[in-house]
Amino acid sequence: MTDSPPISLSDVSYFYGKGALKKQILFGVGTDVRAGEIIILTGPSGSGKTTLLTLIGALRSAQEGSVKVLGQELNNAKERALIKIRRQIGYIFQSHNLLDSLTISQNVQMAMRFSKAKGGNTRKQIQDVLERVGLGEHMNKYPSALSGGQKQRAGIARALVNKPSIVLADEPTASLDKQSGRDVVDLIQELAREDGTAVVLVTHDNRILDVADRILHLEDGHMKSLTEAVSEDTSRMLNLLSKHDPSSASYLASFAFALARVAFADNEVTEEERIAMQRILRDVAHLEPAEVNFIMELSMMQRLAQSQMADRTGDGLGADRTKHFVESLYEIARADGSVSPEEINEIRAITAEFGIAHPE
Amino acid sequence: MARLLPLGWLQLKHQPLRLLAATLGITFAVILICVQMEFREALFQSAVRYHSAMDHDLVMLSPKTTYLVSTKQFPRTRLYQVLGDAGVERVTPVYMSLGSWRNPIDRSSARNIFVIGFDPSDKGFARILDEQQHDLIKLSDHIIFDQRGRPEYGPVAELFKNRGPLAGEINDRSITVSGLYSLGTSFGLDGGVITSDLNFMRAFPKRSKSAIDLGLIHLAPGVDAKQAQKIIVQHIPHDVYVYTSQEFREMEVQHWNKTTPIGYIFTFGAIMGLVVGFIIVYQILFADVQDHLKEYATLKAMGFTHGYLRTVVLQQSLVLALLGFLPGIGLSHLIFDKAAAVTGLPLALDRDAAVFIFLLTIGMCAASGILALRKLRAVDPAEVF
Repeated sequence: MTDSPPISLSDVSYFYGKGALKKQILFGVGTDVRAGEIIILTGPSGSGKTTLLTLIGALRSAQEGSVKVLGQELNNAKERALIKIRRQIGYIFQSHNLLDSLTISQNVQMAMRFSKAKGGNTRKQIQDVLERVGLGEHMNKYPSALSGGQKQRAGIARALVNKPSIVLADEPTASLDKQSGRDVVDLIQELAREDGTAVVLVTHDNRILDVADRILHLEDGHMKSLTEAVSEDTSRMLNLLSKHDPSSASYLASFAFALARVAFADNEVTEEERIAMQRILRDVAHLEPAEVNFIMELSMMQRLAQSQMADRTGDGLGADRTKHFVESLYEIARADGSVSPEEINEIRAITAEFGIAHPE
Repeated sequence: MARLLPLGWLQLKHQPLRLLAATLGITFAVILICVQMEFREALFQSAVRYHSAMDHDLVMLSPKTTYLVSTKQFPRTRLYQVLGDAGVERVTPVYMSLGSWRNPIDRSSARNIFVIGFDPSDKGFARILDEQQHDLIKLSDHIIFDQRGRPEYGPVAELFKNRGPLAGEINDRSITVSGLYSLGTSFGLDGGVITSDLNFMRAFPKRSKSAIDLGLIHLAPGVDAKQAQKIIVQHIPHDVYVYTSQEFREMEVQHWNKTTPIGYIFTFGAIMGLVVGFIIVYQILFADVQDHLKEYATLKAMGFTHGYLRTVVLQQSLVLALLGFLPGIGLSHLIFDKAAAVTGLPLALDRDAAVFIFLLTIGMCAASGILALRKLRAVDPAEVF
């Protein structure tokens, strides 16, 4: 029991509706979440991440596959068993979902209905958990008197007061500004680490992805690898940038690429070089730091890949791959109907750069 | 396990305006119910004014008698027969009939009046007449007049108070009003006079002294009326009924309840009050449940059961019942004080009625709470994400 992961999903499928209107939302999703692990579940709207979260939260049961939470199989489980599991999970809701007619401490107290702690400790426990989330002074206020971030922190206190072994959070930062959102996620992370809680966090918010031990990406009900998801997103974003502002995009790209090549010349990019590049790029482009960073990271990745490639060519790539490499280049050149001399020149230049012999 | 918070009450308290509106609505319903029930009760009470005023432990009646103003006679000897039974101390034969009273001012107007005759040396009317009045009616054609009768009988009480004894006419026979008593009107009974058995015979010459309308039976102190009634009924022929005073009053109420729409109308009014209250509470609770659906779904997601949510809504309905009932009863009291002064009806809320109305209010609120709960069934905890 102690060794088995708190959450174990395998081949989970979920359908909404019945008969002709039946629509599949999840397709054979499977993963385990270990104790103390923070999982972030991302994906566009309608990808099924909230559905997956409600399945783990024992709020509905999947039609196919197995959802095991705290050792209990939830598929086809009775309402009573579902309720029992719900009591052992801490929920953090998108819009805090505090009870308006209760004070903050009473809201926390509601959750303690199912805790095993003795009655005498209740006040102390509430006080402790609220102080932990920085709301010690607001215990007796009503939710309406608090800011959005404070309310969300109260929601976290409510979810954590019973020290649950699983915490589920649905877009906990959605209604918060950047700073409060960051604070809230840091808080969840800190508390989860201290208590060894398994956390599943659904979010759209890329700014908080770094707290995750593992990122799962759902798209149209299929679990995807992060690289797949990121590549898709990035190519879409780059496409958008070159359409939106082509001149600055291409100038920046080549400029950054050039800078990256210099920086990589000694096969190592130091922090000083990085900062210098950032400064230069910022001065030329009048872009926001985030945009500059993005372009810089991208070109450095490109340069890195290129230089690694160059290191490995010759004996590194092997005859088959070399052949394939060159053939692929020609295939692209032929794609528009004919191979022009310019295209042949470019291919020669590339092969020269990579140190590959260009077959005549 | 932490102490359970009274969530229902806290939710009500959080919206004081809504709470006030709900309380007022229920107060209104309670007043409606109270007033209707109490008017009904008071009208029936007024029908038994004479029953309650005449001092007796048991009464003897003809089986044909269904109510006081329309009594059938039975042999006086039946009444004297029970004197031999254990526990019976003394008996009072009473004669009753409707006579025609001529208004002493507007002599063209004659009106039926309830005339009671009894032997003034017997017990039975001490609650209505004082000792001096008992002596006065021993004089020939002297009567005591009910000052709370209808004004159509003429300003008898006023004249008497100003000038003392005055002349009147019953069944075209001159009489003297030599005193006043105070009982009041009821169904089929606009006013009354009390006199001696002899004077009664003078006003109703066709009546025989040996045929009486009512026999009052006084038991020795400490004798159980029910027990005595059993013994008496065994000993006398079954051409008369013997009732306890409770049964005597019930007979009268039964008659008016069955033969007139009065009981029905007021019961209907009380039901209307109940329905109005029910709708008000239902509206309030329904709106409340509706507003809190998301919170209830959250609670369900946290592991609270449907049963818990049910207790929350029922708690609210009970709190509303209590909050609405108290001012409702209070205001009803004020209304009764005013109405009693105007109508002369014996309006007063007794404890039993108050308890009954309280239970009715709780029932009303709980029922509307249960109805409002049907909305709760739709609460899907998965909706909160």
